Amino acid sequence: MYLLSAFPFFQILDETRTLTILNQLEIENEKERQRESNLINKMATSHVDVPGEPTETGTALLETATGTIQGFQPVNNIHQHLCAFHFYAHDMTRQVEAHHFCGHLNEDVRQCLIYDSPDKDARLIGIEYIVVESLFLTLPDDEKPLWHSHEFEVKGGYLFMPGVPGMGERQDLKQVCKTYGKVIHFWQVDRGDPLPLGIPQIMMALTRPGQLDENIAKDVEKRFGVSFEEQREQRKDLTGPDHGIHPLANAAGRGLKTELREVDIPPATSMPRVFV
Amino acid sequence: MASSDKKPGPTPAIGPGSTLPGKPTTLGSKLIETGAMMLQSMAPVRQMNLHACTFALYGHDLSRQIETHHFIHRINQDFLQCAVYDSDKPSARLIGVEYIVSDNIFETLPSEEQKLWHSHAYEIKTGLWTLPGMPELLQDPEHKSLTKTYGKFWCTWQVDRGDRLPLGAPSLMMSSQAVDIARVNPELVKERDRKYGVSRGDAKESRVEMAEPEWINPNADYWKQHGKGFAIDVPVEMKSSGALI
Repeated sequence: MYLLSAFPFFQILDETRTLTILNQLEIENEKERQRESNLINKMATSHVDVPGEPTETGTALLETATGTIQGFQPVNNIHQHLCAFHFYAHDMTRQVEAHHFCGHLNEDVRQCLIYDSPDKDARLIGIEYIVVESLFLTLPDDEKPLWHSHEFEVKGGYLFMPGVPGMGERQDLKQVCKTYGKVIHFWQVDRGDPLPLGIPQIMMALTRPGQLDENIAKDVEKRFGVSFEEQREQRKDLTGPDHGIHPLANAAGRGLKTELREVDIPPATSMPRVFV
Repeated sequence: MASSDKKPGPTPAIGPGSTLPGKPTTLGSKLIETGAMMLQSMAPVRQMNLHACTFALYGHDLSRQIETHHFIHRINQDFLQCAVYDSDKPSARLIGVEYIVSDNIFETLPSEEQKLWHSHAYEIKTGLWTLPGMPELLQDPEHKSLTKTYGKFWCTWQVDRGDRLPLGAPSLMMSSQAVDIARVNPELVKERDRKYGVSRGDAKESRVEMAEPEWINPNADYWKQHGKGFAIDVPVEMKSSGALI
């Protein structure tokens, strides 16, 4: 909490000092990551739903070591947790609570790992990329339908940052409101798959009232202590993409379904070809 | 139609050098992120405690090969989930997800599913797969259990093709195998070895005694025995005028 109250302070500090402090915090964050990672590995870990034997002690110990010794910079770049809802681009009735763990590649591009819960035994179920409007507009026309707009779910209150109170959330949501995202899921946990089966699924986000299943909504509101309606009130002044929602986005208002196709591969030879 | 094996149409989102488009992250954004970090639990991403560097081949074109960095979370003794990046720097691009299962779990999968997976024995035994920063001896126990595993790797950003943004349908990836068309270009390996101060040759030698799986399921590495790879299509219907219906 101290950081939020320190916001005005940061505005007074010059850039160099602020960056120094940020670096310090980054180092602290890395230490925290290692501490947590060590803690976890000392306990027997076995995910209730994923088939398999509990992790053996030797393996756990080794991974505690690797967790301490190796570098994890790409993962340490993940700084933010967003909760939202996705549905399958070919079936709007199948809806999934999606926990995004996001980092900036730069100001205009973010990349997120998507999990089915915010807990330590969460399953990695997908990926999302988020880009600003100007970059979305550079995408080819057959690419745009794979992307979805964020305006409705942000203004509707359905996309939120668990644990972060209104003001801290707002700054970022103002930006996210104007972006487009591309979500691919690999694990259809909503149909009870114990393992990531099948082919990747393009997912879409809420774009209209009445889409989100009420039970799912209420459950999330309860577990995270949020009210989508309240958020809607507070976010009335947020605005979407400057040029409006592109007509090709959101699967161009139609469905999208991935298909698997076989492709010819040259014959495998373990001996060099001999010309007779 | 967006297909994993077709090059996307001309667009500023593809170009030489494949530099990421967009402005550098602002101080404001960094502050927001730092604030979030202090208040939020990042439990799922903190579970990744293993970093592996290896090479992957595009399932529809084995001659396209990339160096990959897997950040791995072990769920249990038989299952691991990996976030895959194109480097181990903070600027690394998230290029896909790989799931790894033990042979026990793999045998329970339907055969149609098994075709999407690849085996790991060859790439581990021949030193392509390495754990950067870890002495070879310490890597041993991990490799012993991973040699018998199978992986399923979807690539969502084809950076080697010059895509500046993640374009197209996800691509199924395969692993290097002991056949001509699936050997990793030695230049790629040399470059990786140089960057991380490792030697693939040395690793291969020290792993020579490592037990190989007695049997690799023929449904895995499907291309090897069937000459067929896989691509993903996402049909996006266009009118002949170019506008979507």
